[in-house]
Amino acid sequence: MSKGLKIVVLVKQVPDIEKVRFDYEKGRLDRSSAEAVINPFDLNALEAAAQIKEKIGGVVTAVSMGPEQAKDALRDALARGADEAVLLSDLRFAGADTLATSYTLSCAVRKLGAFDLIICGEKTIDGDTAQVGPEVAEFLGIPHVAYVDEILDISIAEITVKSRLDGDNYVVKMRFPGLITVTKDANVPRLPTLKDKLRSRKAEITVWGMKDLACLDEKQFFGLQGSPTGVAKVFAPTSGKKKGQIVMGTPEEKARRIAEILLKLGASQ
Amino acid sequence: MTNVSKDALVQELVSIVGKEWVVTEREYMLSYLQDETPEPVRPKAANNLILVKPSSTGEVSKILRAANQARVPVFPVGGRTGLVSACVPTIPGIILSLERMKKLEVDRENLMVVAEAGVTLGDLLRACDEAGLFFPPHPGDEGAQVGGLIATNAGGVRAVKYGVMRNYVKGVEVVLASGKVLNLGGKLIKDNAGYSLLHLVIGSEGTLCVITKAIIKLHPKSEHSVTIIVPFSGRHEALQAVQKILLSGVVPLAIEYVEPDEVNLSAAHLNEKWPVQVGGAQLFIILNAESEEELLVSCEKVSGVCSEIGAGEPVLAETREEQDRVLRIRSNIYTALKPQLIDILDVTVPPSKLGDLMDAVEEIAEKYGVHLPVYGHAGDGNLHVHVMKEEGKAPDYVAKVKSEIYETGIRLGGVITGEHGVGAIRTQELTKATDEAELNLMQGIKKLFDPNNILNPGKVIT
Repeated sequence: MSKGLKIVVLVKQVPDIEKVRFDYEKGRLDRSSAEAVINPFDLNALEAAAQIKEKIGGVVTAVSMGPEQAKDALRDALARGADEAVLLSDLRFAGADTLATSYTLSCAVRKLGAFDLIICGEKTIDGDTAQVGPEVAEFLGIPHVAYVDEILDISIAEITVKSRLDGDNYVVKMRFPGLITVTKDANVPRLPTLKDKLRSRKAEITVWGMKDLACLDEKQFFGLQGSPTGVAKVFAPTSGKKKGQIVMGTPEEKARRIAEILLKLGASQ
Repeated sequence: MTNVSKDALVQELVSIVGKEWVVTEREYMLSYLQDETPEPVRPKAANNLILVKPSSTGEVSKILRAANQARVPVFPVGGRTGLVSACVPTIPGIILSLERMKKLEVDRENLMVVAEAGVTLGDLLRACDEAGLFFPPHPGDEGAQVGGLIATNAGGVRAVKYGVMRNYVKGVEVVLASGKVLNLGGKLIKDNAGYSLLHLVIGSEGTLCVITKAIIKLHPKSEHSVTIIVPFSGRHEALQAVQKILLSGVVPLAIEYVEPDEVNLSAAHLNEKWPVQVGGAQLFIILNAESEEELLVSCEKVSGVCSEIGAGEPVLAETREEQDRVLRIRSNIYTALKPQLIDILDVTVPPSKLGDLMDAVEEIAEKYGVHLPVYGHAGDGNLHVHVMKEEGKAPDYVAKVKSEIYETGIRLGGVITGEHGVGAIRTQELTKATDEAELNLMQGIKKLFDPNNILNPGKVIT
């Protein structure tokens, strides 16, 4: 058994969000309109894994679900610190919502064997739900901490992180195995070296389909079939008109007036 | 002001462009009174100025005709991103901003774009990108305007492969001091009809005529690009590599030389982190190609050449976001140094002489016991030497240091400025460094174009 931690990083290939167009008729991103890149938050997850590996050793496995071309995202992960990569690719995985995606990913993590820590980006820039990481943890029955913006301490048995939720900071200690999702503030992703980039292009990438995940009796949980949610309609939200009011008078008068207004507003909610 | 009263002139300008486009209150024109020239060498703007913003070539023509008749100086301004105060109104007159002239039309069939003078570099880059085309020169600040880019023959980081602004301008519409509108050049790849007035106008810094529109050549967009950063133990190794890369058959868009102190300062200024923390000197190389395979072959070639000289392992910025990030850090070295800066020099020598120039700069720094931060466009032989304040003040050796650097540049077969231009602050140096006969020709040309010396007086040649 190798020294250090066994780390799994979940990555996703997404369209370059600055260039991608939206298909309003279908209510989906037109993925052919922009080149595919690794989800930017996943770069922070990979960097966190690379730093942990440098500090206490271990093996980093990148896992992604997607079509054949998602191998590019995994090669990128290999160039940036992952040691091995697994692609989950099967037509029957297609059309998955976050629940079916999480289920599929959790099956793959189980198949990989014992692990210590799973790291995800806080969300993907195409879906923006931030649900997959925590849902994978739930399927695996392990604890998780989301929105980690700093890893304060790590040992072979546990990790201490700072997580920011709704404007408050939480310092959380979690025993392994567990899962964290990291924010953009967690680190600055390193650039790959040319040597690693070239090595990653030739690297072997394991591909697992439905039959490899040993869950054939549960195929109703995969892909479109296993997705209880779907996009009904997509629209750009319209912002309500702001109602400004200027309060005049002495500081005391102004404070009283503002309190009255707020109370009235509160009462009407 | 001469010949006419200010009130009469204002009235005439209002009749040409409308009341809302003529500004006489100084507090509303403050940003038009300076460019990005470091404060210690920046000339003060005059009092008694009128800012006018025409919307068409016809209006520019009328303004110039009125100014010429009244013998009132006109200072054309663009995005005010220059570094030699070429657009600073140093005597009373009219500031002519073309910012409202922003029409832009991409001509895909001819691989050209027709842009009015007020189109910003940012707008131009976006329009070309949307059309699947590429405008290579990138002098840094995307707030620069087309008129200014041409008037200053802007350079920037991509000159190694694609050249400077001059290589891209195929035609211009200009307004002469008399108000006469002229079209020079056209959508032509070849044009040998007489002397090239077009190329006289490019780089004339607003002293010969006002550029109102331009035809600019474009390239098809390269699908793949990468930025690699290569660390070297020191400057000599890095510069040796530049020569070898240029001879290797790979033609990078840019080969930039940076040193860790300056690039880390810039990164800190932007709240970023420079990705390479090893080596006393680094090369920042941008490559493009039609396919990823071709690009990686070029990377390997560059890396091979560099490792022969003992370079460290190169790192790659591949995604657009990562490439933008490292380029932004590189481009902001100047901004980060600016608060402590007295002057940024722009001496350019034949690329093979860059090492000699840097050695000489080091000797000059040692002689005066100062730190002269350097970075530059190594592939172009264009070095930016920074003369810094000491304890917040300009030391008394500044003039000597600058003069010795200029002399060295000229001795090595170079020029006092490769891309920033002469403007208001290098006129003496230009006079000193230029043959009298050449200066006389320049003065003669100025007189032919602008007999009453109303266009940007006091700039370039005096």
